[in-house]
Amino acid sequence: MKLFVPRHIRTRLTAAFVGVLAIVLLLYSAAAGSILLHDLRNQMVRYAIQDLETVEGLLYFSPDGQLLLRDDYHNHPESKLVLERLVEVRSPDGRVLLANSLLGHRSLGNQVIQNEGENGYSPRLLTLADGVRVQLVSRRHLIDGRPVIIRIAYEEKPLWDQLQAGLMALVLPLPLILSLAAVGGFLLASQALKPIETLARKAEAITSENLHERLPVNPSDGELADLARVFNTVLVRLEQSFEQLRRFTSDASHELRTPLAAMRSVGEVGLRKDADAAAYRDVIGSMLEEANQLTRLVDSLLAIARADARQVELRKAVFPAVDLARECVLLFEAVLDEGDQRLTLEAAEDEVVCGDWLLLRQALVNVVHNAIKYTPRGGAIVLRVIRSTATGQVIFEVEDTGPGIPVEALEKVFDRFFRADPARSREQGGAGLGLSIARWNVAANGGEITAHKGKTGGCLVRIALPFAATEHDARDRGSTLQSVL
Amino acid sequence: MRILVVEDEPKLGNALREGLEQEQYDVTLARTAEEAFYLLCSERFDLVTLDVMLPTRSGLEILARVRQNGMQTPVLLLTARDSVEDRVMGLDSGADDYLVKPFAFPELLARIRALLRRGSAEKAPRLNLGSLVMDSASRSVTRDGALIELTAREYDLLEYLLRNQGSVVSREMLSRNVWKETARATPIDNVIDVHVARLRRKIDDGFESKLLHTVRGVGFILREEPGRV
Repeated sequence: MKLFVPRHIRTRLTAAFVGVLAIVLLLYSAAAGSILLHDLRNQMVRYAIQDLETVEGLLYFSPDGQLLLRDDYHNHPESKLVLERLVEVRSPDGRVLLANSLLGHRSLGNQVIQNEGENGYSPRLLTLADGVRVQLVSRRHLIDGRPVIIRIAYEEKPLWDQLQAGLMALVLPLPLILSLAAVGGFLLASQALKPIETLARKAEAITSENLHERLPVNPSDGELADLARVFNTVLVRLEQSFEQLRRFTSDASHELRTPLAAMRSVGEVGLRKDADAAAYRDVIGSMLEEANQLTRLVDSLLAIARADARQVELRKAVFPAVDLARECVLLFEAVLDEGDQRLTLEAAEDEVVCGDWLLLRQALVNVVHNAIKYTPRGGAIVLRVIRSTATGQVIFEVEDTGPGIPVEALEKVFDRFFRADPARSREQGGAGLGLSIARWNVAANGGEITAHKGKTGGCLVRIALPFAATEHDARDRGSTLQSVL
Repeated sequence: MRILVVEDEPKLGNALREGLEQEQYDVTLARTAEEAFYLLCSERFDLVTLDVMLPTRSGLEILARVRQNGMQTPVLLLTARDSVEDRVMGLDSGADDYLVKPFAFPELLARIRALLRRGSAEKAPRLNLGSLVMDSASRSVTRDGALIELTAREYDLLEYLLRNQGSVVSREMLSRNVWKETARATPIDNVIDVHVARLRRKIDDGFESKLLHTVRGVGFILREEPGRV
């Protein structure tokens, strides 16, 4: 069976509140009822005992040996009729000596039970032959020197009637109490939840168009103020990423439009004049160059999009840091040579890194490539591999002797499409995605990439990778050591 | 050699047909998956280039079907999607190679040549073009008998160019096959240009006929050009 659960919290709160209250009140009524029943019984027994003592004094044997009950003590003869007692007197051997008219032919227990009425009044419950339930007490007495057992019983019905009346007094007002509680609880819950409703309405009104708006934080709302604050910080982050996305889209379309525009103009201008095959070939070649540029850009954007969507799978391995550095140097050897630039590698041999070789390599290649681009002819670049004694990180530092980056732009160099010098052409500067890709690659490997001002005024990019303190590490080193030995 | 080109984009399809015909291939163009399936079932081709995203059904579906029918013809997939999963799925459904759009035409030609000569292992110990001779046994290169000193990278570059002599190779092909770069976004174009320039200096400087030429916007080509001196 499916329970019906109301949608609104205030309804649910009220329902729970009323439910609990009803249970408590019912339990209370039940307890009160049972105490009342117990008291009423005791009282009845007490009456019966007193009555029994009275009846004893009224019993006598007639001269012919018959036991009789004197009933001439009433001031008004009709008062007899209000008596509710059932009386039975038996001899110790069980013979019925007397039964009053109210009892008639019924019997208050056929046999005399053992020790009945000897050391007390033996109070007990009994169901008569006609189904009437009675409270019964007995007592042994000597009447005119002859032992008899007197039994006095009262019907229980008046007791139950009284109990019922008492319980009614307790239970009847319950619906009223509960409905009052429900109304009160509902009002209270609504009042308490009102700030939430206000928050919800305000939050609902915030869309991508007005992300700068914030929810009101009212400190008197307690927990709800915290909620509003948390929501506001989410909004701040959301606004930032929206802004970033907006900038990225506009930058990307600019970068895509530039080669497209070039391609178009080159083609259109090329078609306007009659030229020989070589000239056309040149026009087509120029257009193809732009197409390549576009392809490269789209590839980079795709790489970034994939990284953003966390679709890149890491293949982690432990390898010597110096290998990575050396491979980058080797890749650019000819380029450096051509530009008359010097790249010095200062590396500790035995540092190891745990990470995805390809991603880290691409990051380092992009950083070194950037350094080469900005270093003038005949300039020097230093690639250092060191271990930070403080943090245990393995650090790659690439320092160039280029013009450097203004301090205020140091943070931004890893932003997409950022170029330190906007005047640089695309051929020289690239699309400004290299360092952005590098940052993601490093971050994916648990590292951190930062830009600083170098000692010589150039740019210093630092890639800090977490210490590879794995079992791998130890085993790896062990094996190299063995192979060296 | 008969090639079936399955491509729904008319411009690209025509360009592929024209380009391949210039290379002396006999080209049939299919524009829909159904047409391709019909042609593959009724005629014999030496190679198929298959677009993955066809309007009515996926090229992979066609491929799986004809492979089930026992077709052995090599298939080169052309697709705009290049995630690793896409690649794996393509190769799983029976493709022999995979090329991501946009691709350089020379690259397509190189892949086609590679697929067509597959099986007939060809590892000539001596590669040569005119007076330029490469001996892979001793890893030495001579021109007109004179030894040319090459770095390891330059040697690999020249070897690749010699194997593809007469056809244009793009920077992308060099990046992947000589430098073994797997990520398309790694910027090593200037690295390639510098190496090509150095190689050109070493093999062409001082000789009448130039062998290594730049084709603007496309890449490089190694060939004898007696007409142009």
